Amino acid sequence: MYVISILLTKIVYRIINILNLGAGYTWPGHLVLKIYPGIISEIKNKLPDKVVFVSGTNGKTTTVKLIKHILEKKDMKVMTNSSGANLLNGIVSSVLLASDLGGNFSYEAAVFEVDESTLPPLLKDIRPSILALLNLSRDQLDRHWETDIVLDKWEEAVANLGEDTVLVLDETQDKFEVISRSYKGTISYFNDDRKFLYSTDLKGSFNAKNVNCAILTAEKLGVRKDEAARSLKDFEFAYGRGEMVREFDKNWQILLAKNPESMNQNLNMLLEEGIDQELVLFVLSDNIPDGLDVSWIYDVRPELITKVCKNKEVFVSGKRALDMAVRLRYTGVDVSGQNISENLKNTIEKISDMDSIKNVTVLPNYSSMLEVRNILVGRKIL
Amino acid sequence: MKLTIAYFYPQELNLYGDTGNVEILAARTKTRQMDVEIRKVSVQDKISKEFMKEINLLFMGGGPDSGQERMYLDLIEQKGPYIKEYIEEGGTALFICGSYQLMGEYYRSADGKKLEGLGIYNMYTQHFGHEKKRCVGNIVSKVNNSILQDPLFINVNNVGDTIVGFENHGGRTYPADDVEPFATVIKGHGNNSEDGTEGVYYKNTVGSYFHGPLLSKNPHIADYLIAKALNLEKLSNLDDTIIKTAHSALVKRFGQ
Repeated sequence: MYVISILLTKIVYRIINILNLGAGYTWPGHLVLKIYPGIISEIKNKLPDKVVFVSGTNGKTTTVKLIKHILEKKDMKVMTNSSGANLLNGIVSSVLLASDLGGNFSYEAAVFEVDESTLPPLLKDIRPSILALLNLSRDQLDRHWETDIVLDKWEEAVANLGEDTVLVLDETQDKFEVISRSYKGTISYFNDDRKFLYSTDLKGSFNAKNVNCAILTAEKLGVRKDEAARSLKDFEFAYGRGEMVREFDKNWQILLAKNPESMNQNLNMLLEEGIDQELVLFVLSDNIPDGLDVSWIYDVRPELITKVCKNKEVFVSGKRALDMAVRLRYTGVDVSGQNISENLKNTIEKISDMDSIKNVTVLPNYSSMLEVRNILVGRKIL
Repeated sequence: MKLTIAYFYPQELNLYGDTGNVEILAARTKTRQMDVEIRKVSVQDKISKEFMKEINLLFMGGGPDSGQERMYLDLIEQKGPYIKEYIEEGGTALFICGSYQLMGEYYRSADGKKLEGLGIYNMYTQHFGHEKKRCVGNIVSKVNNSILQDPLFINVNNVGDTIVGFENHGGRTYPADDVEPFATVIKGHGNNSEDGTEGVYYKNTVGSYFHGPLLSKNPHIADYLIAKALNLEKLSNLDDTIIKTAHSALVKRFGQ
């Protein structure tokens, strides 16, 4: 059955890609789980000794990429799931796609980013060697509901984990106290110390945490901290998370801002770094991966918006562009009517025609970020 | 002329961007060259009759279960009586979601536990657990007739008779027959997804399930509350072009 699942996954993946229906990282696993729910426990037996789960509201993709980078520099063969595939179906898809037709999985380490709500059910079946928990804040309330509910489920899952997993936690998250208390095994903490951040091109205190989490995780897997830090010199941003794109004679920096905390952190980072961008583009949509509720933009600290937009040309776009324009207006930022358009392609074309603009900051929510990249880079994912 | 807003339990009831309502009330008042003071009232703060006399608008939002657990006893035992008196004497107030539910007679949770409310609004709220779906989604409603016919509302209304927002509640609220709803649902769930009512309009207060936040795309409601709070017959016009455009676009997209 396992080999059949692998075959099925690979065929469905191929078809999706030939027909250009998407990245193909979720549907194959979805199908396999439907036909053969026992696949998860089979996968468990195939995984290597080194299995890392990374979960939290913000920072998963960057942290997984950092861990992979460090381990690969030690010549380890590392498998990861792509960030759009962090639900159960995506995790199943990625493991099966990475297996050969004989059912063999040849990677030495598997590092998964795991959706916050998927983590508890997944932990029942697979016990990772390391579980890194980054943070929990308001995100997509119409899907995850309240953070408290997620935290309760995490606590229960961690309490039932046994003692073989090493828990890697952000010590600045007060919420995690209940998790520390309910875990019987080893816990290691990281914080936002910037020493290691400076050995990378990443910026901001949230990235300091991501870097420290990755280095601590790698240390638990046998890589010395200083060595790990050194290896991050040539680390490149995860897509849409600080990524720089050169197009239409401009530098576009894409900073995923999909919930109040990630928007606050990015705005803060821009203020700390001193922004040389002449133009700020907010893109807000309410597609399914974003959640339908856009009221979170009022949980963003208004004074940060005001400061970042000061003396800048400001554009808004996306399906909820008008909502964003209203939000900006209440922070004292008036967006002129001609800079508001729900059509992102038109907006980007318009900005591209502005000769005086050399540097653009783009603050998109999730689906908007994929769309921005699609327009600027040509492909939705990597 | 000064608008003094008492913002109750800002740390405990801080979900879904409802804090934006206070920001918006303040911004719309300041733009009209009037002073604004925001007084945050948390669990540990004591209030008095004098305090309630000094404020002219009271706001309370909704929050996660843990937040509601932290403020519940304080509301019922300490601050509730002051709030009740304030409302009965004609004070202006806005309650959203969780705090709106607590203005009713009681809240019955999915496991049958009964939480007493302040009993100001003649209504109760029931959570049916898995029996009934959570009420989540964009919502469009029509403001109730007695508000629409209020000369004060007519004076400040620059939008029309619709309101638009987002709702996300597990509990369903059942107002008694003689209770005036805040609005009638055009598209969405409202109080209970059955009787077509949304929120409660009682004396000079509004209770509602609208997030968005409520006042963001409904400036007529914001101005109605400001005018009531300041005891003004009308307010100077603001340039609400972009807000009105957003309102109409959302009503068009979600109202049918």
